Amino acid sequence: MPELRLANVSKYYGETLAVDNLSLTIADGEFVCLLGPSGCGKTTALRMIAGFETVDKGSIHLDGEDITRKPPQLREIGLVFQHYALFPHMTVAENVGYGLRVRGKSRAFINGEVANALALVRLGELGARYPAQLSGGQQQRVALARALAIRPRLLLLDEPLSNLDAKLRDDMREEIRNIQRKVGITAIFVTHDQSEAFGLSDRVAVMSFGKLQQIAAPAAVYESPASIQVGSFIGSINDFKGEVAAVDGASVRVDIGGGIVISGSAAHARQGATVTAVVKQERITLSPERPAAGDNVFPCRIGTRTYLGSTICYRCEAEGFSFGVIVPNNPHFAQFETGQPAVAHWSGSDCHVFM
Amino acid sequence: MREILAAGRWLYLIAIYAFVVGPMLFVCAASLNSAANFPANFDGITFKWYEAILKYPEFTRAAWVSALVALVSSIIAVAAAFLAGYGMFRSDRKESVVLSTVLASPILVPQIVLSLATLQFLALFGVSSGLAGLVAVHTVHSLPFALRLVLSGFSRYNFSLEEASANLGAGRLTTWWQVTMPLLKANLIAGFTFCFILSFVNLPISLFLTDARTATLPLVMFAHLEARIDPMLPAVASIIVIAAAVTTILLERYLRIRLVD
Repeated sequence: MPELRLANVSKYYGETLAVDNLSLTIADGEFVCLLGPSGCGKTTALRMIAGFETVDKGSIHLDGEDITRKPPQLREIGLVFQHYALFPHMTVAENVGYGLRVRGKSRAFINGEVANALALVRLGELGARYPAQLSGGQQQRVALARALAIRPRLLLLDEPLSNLDAKLRDDMREEIRNIQRKVGITAIFVTHDQSEAFGLSDRVAVMSFGKLQQIAAPAAVYESPASIQVGSFIGSINDFKGEVAAVDGASVRVDIGGGIVISGSAAHARQGATVTAVVKQERITLSPERPAAGDNVFPCRIGTRTYLGSTICYRCEAEGFSFGVIVPNNPHFAQFETGQPAVAHWSGSDCHVFM
Repeated sequence: MREILAAGRWLYLIAIYAFVVGPMLFVCAASLNSAANFPANFDGITFKWYEAILKYPEFTRAAWVSALVALVSSIIAVAAAFLAGYGMFRSDRKESVVLSTVLASPILVPQIVLSLATLQFLALFGVSSGLAGLVAVHTVHSLPFALRLVLSGFSRYNFSLEEASANLGAGRLTTWWQVTMPLLKANLIAGFTFCFILSFVNLPISLFLTDARTATLPLVMFAHLEARIDPMLPAVASIIVIAAAVTTILLERYLRIRLVD
């Protein structure tokens, strides 16, 4: 069964290391997102899997076969391009049938497969149109149908939703996931959009500076980030730099200066080490009154209030430091006006401390 | 004041058309003149000069030589321009600029020098020119023009289509045939037609490279002109002008291809 295995893959662009010692195994039928900021190497990694970039070090195996140096046209891997890359001089049906045509399949076979692929993406009636006559979402579907028509061993998607508007993006995301399940194909999806990655994947691979930072189920990446890069890239966060003042098992007390001490959790912290404590903005609670007990209780004043519709963002000024808080726009949660006093508090287990 | 400007603009336009189109119309008219001299006062309409061409085997022979040289040199020039343009745009390296300048440089050399240089270059290897030398020099002369037209096509060409094609299982030749060339069709055909016409009518670059068997049409016309001036020359010229005009119009009309951007 198709299984993709990258072993110690590196790619240099001149002196810069675009992909740094990437090792990754993706199981048959799995949907994995490569998530990271632009320039993190995720697209380069995808292009190496597709065969459009040479691999400087390491190897890529698909289904037990070493494909590291195999030319792209022999890899049997489908790729959906960010800007679709549909052939403008061919109709939708000709685009979808292209891969089968260059394989020398019979006309009857191609017609049948094209009809299946177009039905799969719900474009059955548009086969005779040209790409320029289609909307962005329809072009995206044609690109998907074209990649699937060759019955590839692996499906790669390079930020396929980034050119669509928000509503369409949500619909297409659902649809891609459904089609992938239906076909049962192994898929790798490159994106910089976290909610896209979380919504689609079985596992999310977070990359930054060419390195794989963490690969885990979406909830694990979100709840227990493995590194400061993951912790600060995922979600809206506050980060406090400081020094470890006390260690008690997994719980750590971090002195961030000015007599302020924050409790957090870390795997192996060392007394006196310079660290960063990271807490997600929605994990901070704002109350009018001081809570009876708990870690990290800081009286503060609302500096700015930003109304975002489904949530409200507060910038809170405590004595000696400030932080952001996101509160759901819901009457069950206390809301504040600019300049009002409040008490912020968060659990030590929501505050991750990184070396 | 405004009227004067408007009148000036009209004069300017008329002058341009008069000098561009006028001589060609004059040549066509002269080819139908029954007077035995050229130029001469108009004497009556006749097609005898066109018939006369057929009786001069050196004219028809030279026309075939010119057509063959133009055909082969234009195909080679466009193919070379396609490969060069593909490489330049695909690699995106700074050497591309140097390469495009080098390939365009024949345009800067006086054509008669190009002819003489080719003769000497071939003599260096003890090769007599023949048709091959003629085709070579015409190709070199056409290349800059072919390159300009083909490069303008590549500048609008989306190279991710090449990757899409490879990803779907096509080798490079299949991709060129199925994707690249169809999308650059207009530029390739325009380049070919332009080069063909340039080659067909060119006199100086063939000058030192022909013998009796390989004389091109412009050379034969020139030789004929030195011997005597009769309306047969305008007749030959008219055929060329009309053929070029018809080709250009057909290309624009039916393939929406413009020879000049």
